[in-house]
Amino acid sequence: MPNGSLVSRSMVSRRALLGAFGLLSLGAGLGLLSFPASAFDPERLRQRMAMLYGQGRLDVLEAWFALLERLAGHDVQTQLREVNDFFNRHIRWVDDIVTWGEEDFWATPLEAMGKGQGDCEDYSIAKYVTLKQLGVPGERLRMIYVRARLGRSQVTQAHMVLGYYATPDAEPQILDNIAPSISPASQRTDLDPLFSFNSEGLWAGGSSQSRADPLARLSRWRGVLERMQSQGFL
Amino acid sequence: MSLIKQLWLAIIALLLLSFIGSLAISITTSRFYIEQEIRIKNEDNANALALSMSQLDKDIVTQELLIAAQFDTGYYREIVLRDTGGEVLVERLASDYRGDVPEWFRGLVDFDIPPGTATVQDGWQQFGTLTLQSHYSFAYASLWRSVIELAGWFLLAALASLAVAAVLVSSIKRPLARVVAQARDISRRRFTTIQEPSTRELRDVTQAMNALSDSVRQMLTQESQKLDELRRDLQHDRLTGALDRNAFMARLSALLEGDDARATGALAMVRVQALAALNDRLGHDAVDTLLVELVNRLDSLDGDAQTALVGRLNGSDFILALPRQTDLDALHAHLRQTLADIALKDVRLPAALTAYSPQDERSALMATLDTALAEAEAAHATANVVIRERERPALFTTHAAWRSALELAILQGPDLGRYPVLNAYQRVIHFESPARLELDTQWQSAGVFIPWLARFGLEPALDMAVIKRALEQLRAEPEVRLGVNLSLAAIMDAQFTNELRALLEKSPALAARLCFDLPASQDPRAIASLRAFCSALRHLECAFGLEHVGAEFTRLADLQDIGLAYLKVDASLVRGIHASLEQQTLLRGMTTLCHSLGILVIAEGVVDQQELTQLYRIGVDGATGPGVRLS
Repeated sequence: MPNGSLVSRSMVSRRALLGAFGLLSLGAGLGLLSFPASAFDPERLRQRMAMLYGQGRLDVLEAWFALLERLAGHDVQTQLREVNDFFNRHIRWVDDIVTWGEEDFWATPLEAMGKGQGDCEDYSIAKYVTLKQLGVPGERLRMIYVRARLGRSQVTQAHMVLGYYATPDAEPQILDNIAPSISPASQRTDLDPLFSFNSEGLWAGGSSQSRADPLARLSRWRGVLERMQSQGFL
Repeated sequence: MSLIKQLWLAIIALLLLSFIGSLAISITTSRFYIEQEIRIKNEDNANALALSMSQLDKDIVTQELLIAAQFDTGYYREIVLRDTGGEVLVERLASDYRGDVPEWFRGLVDFDIPPGTATVQDGWQQFGTLTLQSHYSFAYASLWRSVIELAGWFLLAALASLAVAAVLVSSIKRPLARVVAQARDISRRRFTTIQEPSTRELRDVTQAMNALSDSVRQMLTQESQKLDELRRDLQHDRLTGALDRNAFMARLSALLEGDDARATGALAMVRVQALAALNDRLGHDAVDTLLVELVNRLDSLDGDAQTALVGRLNGSDFILALPRQTDLDALHAHLRQTLADIALKDVRLPAALTAYSPQDERSALMATLDTALAEAEAAHATANVVIRERERPALFTTHAAWRSALELAILQGPDLGRYPVLNAYQRVIHFESPARLELDTQWQSAGVFIPWLARFGLEPALDMAVIKRALEQLRAEPEVRLGVNLSLAAIMDAQFTNELRALLEKSPALAARLCFDLPASQDPRAIASLRAFCSALRHLECAFGLEHVGAEFTRLADLQDIGLAYLKVDASLVRGIHASLEQQTLLRGMTTLCHSLGILVIAEGVVDQQELTQLYRIGVDGATGPGVRLS
C-alpha cells in the first residue's frame, strides 16, 4: 500500500498548508501582522513621481537628489540657506483650494514638487524633511504657527514657518517663503509666534516608524508623515 | 479509551479552545483599542495644555496652577514640565494604581503607552517640554469587566452546550451499548436480536447481526423439529400420538424413582371394551377417530399444566399419568364426565384410577390398576371408573396440619441431597441438590410434600430457603458447584426474582458457583417468565439449565438466547440407550445441536454402566442418575 500512504501524506500536507494559509490571512486581516517598508528610497520616489505627475516632473526630483548630494557634509548654515532657496525657487505659492481643491491640505514634498506649487505649510514640511534627510537633528527643527501681517497693512493671516533652534533655548532662525532669506526670529517683527511642534514624540521610542494605527491619518501632521513613509521619504 | 470518553474530551477541548481563543482575541483587540485611545488622549491633552500654557505668563506659579488644574481632574498619572535643559519645573504624580482589578490580570494586560509630549512656547523661544501620562486604572477596570462578562456568558453557553452534548452523546451511547451487548452475546453463541438503532452505522451492524441471529433461530427450529419427529416416531403410537408401552413405562419408572415433585400423582387406565367387535360394527375409520379423541381428552385432563402423560399399552388399553395430581375424588368426577362425553352408543369405556407416590413399585401399581379395571369392566355402566385408594401411612390428616408442618419445616430450613453430575472423565460438573424437608421428625423428599406446597402456594418460599442453604454450603466448600431446582411458580413470581437478585448480589462470588435447574415447559407464558428471570440474573454469572427436556426440545430456538449453560435430557430418552439405535441417533442429534450453541448436554436417570458408556460415546457431556456415582 505505498501509494495509499503517499496520497494520504500529501493530502495531510496540503491540508496543513491550507490551514497555515488560513491562519496567516486571518492574522493579516486582524492586523496582527504588518509589513512595514520604510526607509529613504530614491527609486520608489522616482516611480511615484513618474506615476503621479508624469516623466516631466522627474527633473525637479533629480534636482532635489542633486541638492541632497551636494549639501551632504556641509555646515548647517549652508544647508539651511540652500534648502530654503531650493524650495522657495521651485514651488510657487498657490492657495490649497486652487491646488488641491481642499481648504487646507498638507502636502508631502513629493506632492509639492510634483505640482510645483503649494502654500506655507507645504514649504515648511518640504524644508523640514529635506533638512532632516541632510542629518540636521529633528529636535532642532520646529514648525511654528505664526500670525503674519502682510506688508505695512494691518491685515493678518495664519501662516506657518520652519524654525531652526541651534540649542533648545536659543532664538530660532526662521525659514519662510514670504521673506526669501533666512533671518533670526527677533528681526521678523511681522510674525507673531503662537505654537510650535515637530515629529519628536509622535513616533514611539525614537524609531522612525509610526505605530500602525488607523486614527493616525485623522491628524494632518501625522497624515502627511504617513504618506511620506509610503512614498519613500522616511 | 472508549469512544464516548473521546467524544466528551473532544467536546470539552473544543469548548475550552473556543473560550480561550475568544477571550484572547477579545483582550488583545480591546487592549489595542484602549492603548490607541489613551495614546491619542495623551497627545491631545499634552498639546491642548501646552497650547494654553504658551499663551499665558511664563511665571512658574501660573504654569503650576494650570498643570494642577488639569491634573486634579483625576485622570492623569503624571504631568511633568521640564525646561529646555531637562530640569523639572513642575511635577504632579499620582499613586500607581487604584481599583480592584487583580494584579495578575494587570500583569497580563500590561499597557504600554508612550506619554504625550508637547513644547510650551515663550514667544519665539521654547519654554519647556510638557510630558503627560493618563491613568490606566479606568482602562484596566473596563477591560476586566468585559473579561468577566465574557467569562460569564461563556459559562452559560458552555453549560447549555454541555447539556446538548449530553443528550447527543447519550443518544449515541445507549444504542451503542446495546449493539456491543449483542455482539458479546453472539460471541458467546447466544443469538439474540435487538431493536435497530436510528444511527445509520449502528443500524447496519445491528441488521447484520439480527440477520445472523434470525437464520440461526430458523436453523434451530428446523433441526429441533426434525429431532422431535424422530422422537415421536420412536416413542409414540402412530395413530393416536400417545406414548407407546416402552416409552411410557420408562417415563413412569423415572417419575417413581425421581427425587422431585413429579414423584407423586395419579394414574388412570382406560379400556375400550371389545375393540375388535367395534371395528367390525363401526368401521376402522370411526373407531380410529374415537381413539384419537380419547387420547386428546385424556391429555388435556389436567388443564394448563401440560404435564399429563398418555400411553397406549396395547390396542385397547390406554394409561394416563398425572404428576402432582393428588385430589383423586375431583379427578374421578372429571374423568367420568370426560369418558361419558366421548362414549358413543354401545361403546363402553371402563376405567380405573389410583394414586402413586415416591418409591412405589411400578409393577405393583400396574397390578392394582389391572384388577381395578377388571372390576370396572364387570359393572354395566357406560363409563365406570373404579378408584383404588392405596394403603399408605398418611403423614397428616388435615390441610391445616399439613400447612403448619410445612411452614415450620421451611422455617427450620431444608436439607439438600447431593447427587453428582459427572463428565466422561469422572469429574464433577456440579452436584444436584434436591430439597428435603423434615416433616414429623422424618426427612421427606420433594415428591412427598411438593403437591401440598403447590396447593398452599409455598413453592417460592421453599425455593428461597433452598437457595439460602445452598449458598451456606457453597461458602463452606469453595470448590463445589451446586445445582438447585426452581419451581415454575417461583420463576413466574416477580417478587421472588427481585429478592433472589438482591440476595445473590450480596455474594456474587458464591452466585457464580450456583446452577439453576429450570423446568422445561412448552407454555409460552412460562417461557416468557423464564426469559425475564434469566435476564434479571444474567449479570451475576450463575448458570442456567433446563431439566427433564423431552418434547420441550422443540423450544430450543426460543430459549437459546437466554444463555443456557446446559440441558438435562429426560430419563425416558436415556433409558436403554445402549440397546436402541434410534434413541442413539436422536440423542446424538440433540447433542450436536446443543454443542453448536455452546450448551452442555447432561443425561438424566442413568441406571447402569452400559448406558453411561454409550452416552459418553455419543458425545453427551455429563450424566446423572442412580447409576452415576463418584468412584
